[in-house]
Amino acid sequence: MTLPVHEQLRRLADTLRNDVGPAVADEYTRTQAFMSSVILQRLAAQVEHGPRHSSTEAAHTAALHTALAEVLAAAPPDVAQAQAEAATAGTVASLGPLIRALYGWGSDRAEVQQALTAIRPVLRADIDRRMEIAT
Amino acid sequence: MTTDTDLVETLSAYLADRLGADGPVAIEDMERIAVGWSHETWLFDAVWNDGEPRRQGMCLRRDPGNALLREMSDLEEQYRVLTCLASTDVPAPKVFWFEPDPAVLGAPALIMEKVPGECPSPWRRAGREYYAAAAERGVLPESFTDALAAIHTADWQGVGLDFLGVPALGDDFARREIAKWQRLIEESGHPGHPILDDLIGWLDANAPSTDRLTLVHGAYRTGNVLIHDDRVSAVLDWELQVIGDPMYDVAYMLTELNREGTDLLSNVVPRELFFERYQTTTGIEIDEDRCRYYQLLYAMRSAAFWMSAAGLYADGRNNDLRLARTEWSVTVALERAAQELGY
Repeated sequence: MTLPVHEQLRRLADTLRNDVGPAVADEYTRTQAFMSSVILQRLAAQVEHGPRHSSTEAAHTAALHTALAEVLAAAPPDVAQAQAEAATAGTVASLGPLIRALYGWGSDRAEVQQALTAIRPVLRADIDRRMEIAT
Repeated sequence: MTTDTDLVETLSAYLADRLGADGPVAIEDMERIAVGWSHETWLFDAVWNDGEPRRQGMCLRRDPGNALLREMSDLEEQYRVLTCLASTDVPAPKVFWFEPDPAVLGAPALIMEKVPGECPSPWRRAGREYYAAAAERGVLPESFTDALAAIHTADWQGVGLDFLGVPALGDDFARREIAKWQRLIEESGHPGHPILDDLIGWLDANAPSTDRLTLVHGAYRTGNVLIHDDRVSAVLDWELQVIGDPMYDVAYMLTELNREGTDLLSNVVPRELFFERYQTTTGIEIDEDRCRYYQLLYAMRSAAFWMSAAGLYADGRNNDLRLARTEWSVTVALERAAQELGY
């Protein structure tokens, strides 16, 4: 029988937390053992949830870019280019340059506010997924 | 970096020279204390004779060269700030020497007096209980407020603190802070997240105007002050001070981030008492809208701190796994930023 990777990582984290850490007398080294355990738990969650998170991210960004194409139909070239590149990349990370371009266009413009209103739920969902791993 | 034994010997020789002692300076009760992530901090007593027997409690801070704030945390600047504060009402440690040469004490170092007092961590249950009990007694809430008022009413120009840089009246202060934390983010090498782009865009578009500049501590909360007999005996952590909008500190007082499970500001001051006493003492009206803006700026600053820490580990400058763990603290800071932005 072979353990799934995330389960193996979790077991390692448990061993570090419950067996290795408490047996270490030196405070700094003991802290490092506990930190190793915490990091392995995070990595385990990342390995476990990563594929699901990636497919959700792709679906959310695809839907977003469909909406943005309409909202930003009359956007200046730099915004249009950032939007096109973000649509091609299909990732949440690629929304960063688009957001910067939007603010550069003018945060008080109605189109910019509409675009940000469309983008923010996607960012919210992304940070929620990341929080599943981070906490 | 020197070992502890090396440090005692080099410190003894250094102090003998500085103090003009007749003989050797004994270093007694030396202990390294775990405060902050920026510098090593050591407490000790120096004992010597210069015709009279002398004993002075001292505190040594050394720059390990891989501090969380990188070059932004500058011991020489701390030395200059503490020197300037000596002639103000701000409770702060008396500073003795700054030694820039790493060959002398193992790293650039600052030596100041060891101020009596304790500094319970507000992030631990025992610390929160300590502050809750002090709040009940009533002296510390007033003293804690008065120390902030002393910072904000200090004659910063008169004592020479304008070397910190003086923003123009208007929105220059907020823009300088945004630029500062953006620089740390860039130096961290961290890929960031679009929430941060949104936050920075929002901060830039909404930078508030201020018509009054004061000395600003930058991290005024319990855990960064020493307390003796229920009074603030010294304000510590002079790493983030600037000349700027006093609401920047007030926002840090008001934020929920600095009070876990209590309505007491910074775990110790009732909100009404703070507003009344601070405004009366300083003559500065608290502007809650500006404070809300600065709370968003703090969200950016938190993200920058954690990105810097994670970056120090990622690029191999520091192997402490506490820094590696902060990769996920970035996520928590960004989640907070999204909340502050309303989503």
